[in-house]
Amino acid sequence: MKPTDIACVQPRLKVLGREQALAIHTAALEILEKTGFRMEHRGALEMLAGAGCTVMDGNRLTMPCYLPEQALACAPRSITLYDQQGRKAMPLVNGNCFYGTGSDATFTLDLEDGRRRRTVRQDIVHFARLVDGLENMAFAMSMANPRDVPVEDIYIHAFAAMLTNTNKPIVFIADSGRDIAVIHELAALVAGGEKELAKKPFILNYSEAISPLRFPVNVMEKLLFCAQKRIPLCLPSGSNAGGGAPVTLAGALALGIAENLVGLVVHQLAGKGAPFLFGPNVSVLDMKSTVVSYGCPEWSLTQAALADMRDELYGLPTWAYAGASDSKTMDAQAGAEAMFSIVTAMLSRSNLIHDVGFLEYGSTSCLEMVAMADELVSMSRHFVKGVPVTEQTLALEAVERVAAGDPGAIFLTDDHTFDHFMEAQFLPNLLDRSRYDAWEKAGSPDLYRRCNGKVKRILARHAVETKPDVVLKEIDRIVGRP
Amino acid sequence: METLGALKEAVIKGDIQKSTTETGKALEAGVAPQDILSQGLIGAMDEVGERFAKGLMFVPQMLRSAKTMQECVGLLKPHFEEGAVVAAGKVLIGSVKGDLHDIGKNLVAMMMEGAGFTITDLGVDVSPEGFVEKVREVEPDILGMSALLSTTMPAMRETVQALESAGLRDKVKIMIGGAPVTEEYARQIAADAYAPDAGSAIAEARRLLEV
Repeated sequence: MKPTDIACVQPRLKVLGREQALAIHTAALEILEKTGFRMEHRGALEMLAGAGCTVMDGNRLTMPCYLPEQALACAPRSITLYDQQGRKAMPLVNGNCFYGTGSDATFTLDLEDGRRRRTVRQDIVHFARLVDGLENMAFAMSMANPRDVPVEDIYIHAFAAMLTNTNKPIVFIADSGRDIAVIHELAALVAGGEKELAKKPFILNYSEAISPLRFPVNVMEKLLFCAQKRIPLCLPSGSNAGGGAPVTLAGALALGIAENLVGLVVHQLAGKGAPFLFGPNVSVLDMKSTVVSYGCPEWSLTQAALADMRDELYGLPTWAYAGASDSKTMDAQAGAEAMFSIVTAMLSRSNLIHDVGFLEYGSTSCLEMVAMADELVSMSRHFVKGVPVTEQTLALEAVERVAAGDPGAIFLTDDHTFDHFMEAQFLPNLLDRSRYDAWEKAGSPDLYRRCNGKVKRILARHAVETKPDVVLKEIDRIVGRP
Repeated sequence: METLGALKEAVIKGDIQKSTTETGKALEAGVAPQDILSQGLIGAMDEVGERFAKGLMFVPQMLRSAKTMQECVGLLKPHFEEGAVVAAGKVLIGSVKGDLHDIGKNLVAMMMEGAGFTITDLGVDVSPEGFVEKVREVEPDILGMSALLSTTMPAMRETVQALESAGLRDKVKIMIGGAPVTEEYARQIAADAYAPDAGSAIAEARRLLEV
C-alpha cells in the first residue's frame, strides 16, 4: 500500500464498553418500569396512559420498556440546525461537535472594569455579537437573565436580543407554553414562516425536567409545543450526582437517561419523528459548597459515556457542556477547567456543547472566557485531526532537498514549508508565544487582558448581517405587545 | 464528663447506633437530660459546624451527624416536660409559588434542624396565601423562602406583601435564598436576611434571633 492510502486515525475517547452501556440502559428502563415517575401535565399523562403506561396513583406512572424502545426508533438520528439565513450550520450527527454559550446567568463580569454585576439586556447583545464574530462558536444562548426587562417576559426579551445580534443558530429557554409561542412567532418571522422554520430550524429549546423523575406542567407544555411545531428540543434534567441523583455516576446516568426517555416518549407520541436532542446533565453536587460543579471531571466523563451510549445504542445526537469553570475570575483554574472539558467533549464526539464562557458554577457569564474558549476549541480541533500520514506529510523530498541541498538550505525556506505550514500547525491567536522582550514591551498582558482586547475589537468592528427593516420592526412590535 | 465525651464523638462521627446507646447510658447514669442535650448533642453539632466551616467535613457527613442527633433527641424527649426543651427557634420553610425545586430548601431545613431549630417544611410551590396561613398557624420565628428560577423569584416579594396585608409582617423574620437570589434583592423586597448557602442560613438565623 502506498502511504497516500493510509487512513488517518482520529483520536477518540471511549469510556464505556458495550456491556456497561447496556447495563445503564437496562437500569434506566427498570427505573421507569418499577419505580415510575410523576407526570403533572394532564394531557401528557393521558397520552402516556393511552400508550400503555400504568397509572399508579394520582400523577404517578410506570412505563413498560417497549415505549422508550419504540420512541428511540422513531426519533431522527440527525438534527440539522440552520443559521438565520437558512444556510446549513450545525449538522448534529455522528461525531460532529459544535460549541456555544450558555443561558440564565445571574451575573456577568463587566467588560470595562471586570467587576461581577447583575446581568442586563445589553449583555445578551454583547454575547450574541461576540458569538457571531467568533469562528468556533457555533450557536448562541443568552448568557444572562437580564434584570432590566419584565421578569414574566424575560425569555422573550432575551430571544429578541439574540435575534437582532447574531445570525447563528440559537438555543433558547422559555418558561411555559405561553412565552414559547411568542418566541416561536419571532423565529418564524425571521425564517419566513412556520413551515420554513420547521424545515430549516435555527432554534432549539432547552427545557429541564426535575430530578428525580418529576415532569411539571410548564415543562411538558414546551415539550408538546416543540413536538407539534417540529422545533428541535432537548430535555436534560439536573440529575447531578449527589444532588438530584445517586452520588455514583452510573446511577446518576441511569436516572438522567430514564428522565430523558420519558420526555422522548411523550415527544414522539405528540409528534412522531420530531427532532429530540438526547442527554441529561450529569455533573456533581459539590460536597462542601453544594453547588453543581461546572469544572469537575465527572461531567466530562458522563457526557463521554453518553456519547458511547449513542454509538452503541441510541443513535440520537447528544447534548453536552464544556468551556466553563467554578472559578470566580478568569484565572488559571478557569483555563484549566475550560480546556479539560473542551478537549474531552471533542474527543468524546459530543454533538451540541453548551455553557462555554461560564464562571462561578454557571452563575456568572464572562465575555473574555468565551473568547478564550474559542481559541481552546480551535486548539482542540487541531489535536483531534490526528497525524495524517501521506506522501505529502512524510515529505521525504523536502528532507532530501534540505539535507542534500546548498549549504544554508533550511526547511523554513523550502517550498514544502510554505505550502503546508498553515494546516500543519496550530497558529495561536490569543495564546501567547511571543519572546519575552516583545511581551514585556506590549505591557506584559496576561491572557485575560488579551481576551478583553479581542472581545472589544470584535464588538467594535464585527458587522452582524442585518435583517430587513420590516422584520426588525415586527420583532419590536411583537416584543412590545402587551 | 466522660460519658458525654463518648456521645459527642459518636455524634460527630455520625454513628447512630453508638450515639443512641451512649444517650441511653447517660440517662441510666442519671445525667440530666438537659445536659445530655446541650453539652452532648448540641455541643457535638457545634463542633460539626466548625469542622465543616474549616473544610474538614463534607455535607453528607454533616447531615448524618444531624440525623444522629435527631435520633438521640427522640430518646430524650420522654424525659422532658412538655415544652421544656428549648429550641433555637421555630422555622417555617418552603419553595415559593411556581417553583418545584427542593434540593436546596431541603438541605437548609435539615441543617437548621441539626443546629437545633424546629422546622416546619411546607414543601414546594407554596403560594403567598399558603405562607400567610401557616405563619398564622405555626407562629414561627423565621420564615425561609427558596427559589431556583428568576421567573419564580417575584413570588418572594408577593409573599412579603401578603404578610404585610395580613398584618403578620412584624411577627416573623424573613430569610430568603436560592440560585438567582442576591443580598440586594433581599433588601429590595424588605426581607430580613439573605443566605447564599445552608451554613450561612444557620448563622443568619442565629443572628436574627440573637441565639
